Amino acid sequence: MQPIVSRRGIWMLGALTALALLSPPADVHAQIFDRLKRATKKAEEVQKKLEPMSVEEEREVGREVAAKLIAALHLYKDEALTRYVNMVGATVAAQSERQDIQYHFAVLDSDDINAFSAPGGYVFITKGAVALCEDESELGGVLAHEVGHIAGKHVLKIVERDKTLRVGMEESKAQMPGSDYLNKMSQGILVKIIDQGLAPGDEYDADQRGLKYAHAAGYPATGLSRFLTKLDQATQQGGKSFWTRTHPPVSERNVRLEKAITAEHWEDADRPNLADRFAAQTQMLKPKA
Amino acid sequence: MNSKLRFGSLVLVSALMLGIAVPLAMAQDNASQDQEKPQKEEKPKKKKGGFFGGLKAISGSSSEQQEVTTTAGSKTVGEGEEIGNAKPTAADRQAVNGMEKYSISQDDLAKFQEEGQLKR
Repeated sequence: MQPIVSRRGIWMLGALTALALLSPPADVHAQIFDRLKRATKKAEEVQKKLEPMSVEEEREVGREVAAKLIAALHLYKDEALTRYVNMVGATVAAQSERQDIQYHFAVLDSDDINAFSAPGGYVFITKGAVALCEDESELGGVLAHEVGHIAGKHVLKIVERDKTLRVGMEESKAQMPGSDYLNKMSQGILVKIIDQGLAPGDEYDADQRGLKYAHAAGYPATGLSRFLTKLDQATQQGGKSFWTRTHPPVSERNVRLEKAITAEHWEDADRPNLADRFAAQTQMLKPKA
Repeated sequence: MNSKLRFGSLVLVSALMLGIAVPLAMAQDNASQDQEKPQKEEKPKKKKGGFFGGLKAISGSSSEQQEVTTTAGSKTVGEGEEIGNAKPTAADRQAVNGMEKYSISQDDLAKFQEEGQLKR
């Protein structure tokens, strides 16, 4: 007798049933799709956190750090001194190899002997640090050291290395001034630069860069090392500075600076220290008799 | 029934079982993930190390701000931490804008550099 369904038919029917049964229901499809979508989004977020910061993002972070420094320490509002510091700062910053950002300089109303730099080109020096300088080459040396940190992207590299720091950066309002992301990021930067200190290698690098910029600008190469010696003495006599607390020892820094000056033959004795101009421009900081 | 038909039946039954088992396994997986979520939330949050390690929100009186007890013992709140906790006002942000907009004319800068025998 001829079978109702052929063997081939039975096999075809079996295969089709198996296919129908094996394919998951529509909601499972949706779940799989949803998971794939979430995994892709997560991968994109991680990738973004590992990417170098754009100049704009760097500037927003630096702007928040600058706002906090001003909020806590306040600007020293003296037009003549601000102008002078900007003149010296612009002169050394012009020698920096990093020219994709603008450098901004300001004096903070603090008697502590400190100088700060934030990503994006923001450089601060306290009036205490300006008052410790004896001539323009020393001021130029300090500002050039800070420009060196920005040019070397020392803080930026720490931020870029640690992807946990950039949690929240992908949110649409992350770059708004005062956002949670910028607040957290700038807090971390300030703790790093003031309380913990950068790696000694980064400080030595900023010294070397600063030395190069100051010398290229026409200042005697010894400005920074002379300032560091005085800073060391001042802090031993009770002067407050996070530089001596978090930076490598002055003796070691000066040895390295002197070695570089000798190697480069930068012992130009004929370069002016500009002590008179410095004294005239900073007379508002001198104690009144 | 011949052996080929028996094999065909076996394939059909296996397919039927797989068809039921796969969605069930996925449903169970989802259910176990949902159960895990609250457990994860219950775990105490680990203190982050590295860059943001030790960051604390400063609140209360100024004397409280000076000393904060951590698991590592007593430590003074760092200056950087205090500055980091500062809340910039609109005037502070305006000051940052002023710093950015501050400009020296190129002529003045050139004169300044010339007077100091500096390089342009």
